[in-house]
Amino acid sequence: MKTIYVGTLALVLGCASLAFAQTKSAAPATGGEDWNALDHKWLDSERTGDLDYLEKFFADSYVLVLADGTTYTKKEWLGILSGPDRPTLLKLDPVNIKARVFGNVAILTDHTTVKGHDSKGNSLDGEFNVFRVVIKQNGIWRATGVVMNQDLTKK
Amino acid sequence: MTRAYGLAVTAFLMIASGGVALGQAPKKPAAPVEDIAALAAIMDHVWLDAAHNRDSATLQWLFADDFVEIHPGGDMVNKQQQIDQIMDPQRMLNELHPDDIQVRYVSQDVAVLTDTTTIRGTSGGVTYNGQQRVIRVFVKQHGRWRAAGAGIVHLTAR
Repeated sequence: MKTIYVGTLALVLGCASLAFAQTKSAAPATGGEDWNALDHKWLDSERTGDLDYLEKFFADSYVLVLADGTTYTKKEWLGILSGPDRPTLLKLDPVNIKARVFGNVAILTDHTTVKGHDSKGNSLDGEFNVFRVVIKQNGIWRATGVVMNQDLTKK
Repeated sequence: MTRAYGLAVTAFLMIASGGVALGQAPKKPAAPVEDIAALAAIMDHVWLDAAHNRDSATLQWLFADDFVEIHPGGDMVNKQQQIDQIMDPQRMLNELHPDDIQVRYVSQDVAVLTDTTTIRGTSGGVTYNGQQRVIRVFVKQHGRWRAAGAGIVHLTAR
């Protein structure tokens, strides 16, 4: 079994080595992008239901992972935001926004305060440390992933 | 297990190191995205195998300098902090492996995937006892792929 595993690994890596046969990646992006504004625009659009913006801003690969592990694709999440079960979001406020830029992908981390409730009135209030992934496609930064973690570090 | 793991890591390191030299060749054709997706899935296993086996050399090699990870509970660590947690003698992990790997996005220099990682044990002051949902990000820097970061939540929803 282990022999098969190692053999398979070597074969896959052999094929995958084609991936390495590229010229050097572009130098990491520097400056120029207002990550604070991007993050705020993103969350403001979710709070106000600006679906036109979100449709363009979310990449087709977008995936949202909530604090309980529930996972939504772009289609699923936009469906919720535009449907009868849309949550009421009174506050979506990101602070301590930090960006790590790796060429055509950036990882943003922030602390987001959420206030609101779901369609049944259940509270959504919470403090979250959030991992956000944005990718550059045709010169435009778009969201491709989010992981929300309830912030228990100060408790 | 140790021998198989050693062979796998050696093969991975040899190919990836060769990629640095290959990466200097001009105008190579673009790799098919299927190959990059397969590579990302393999790197996911290499990452967790190295963490499980306290293989700090592989983790140093794998993690980008600006690596960042957010753990369940919101603890955020950089590359060195993550490696220090893994190497902490107080850390006890009985189980660590990814399943259900789904490569969500691939380009010539970026791969983003999700997986369900099973963790049983204690690490970084956090007790893990089950499945976690994870987003992992890989980037190509100077001709080789590295792990840029991960966001991890404890999977309680069903």
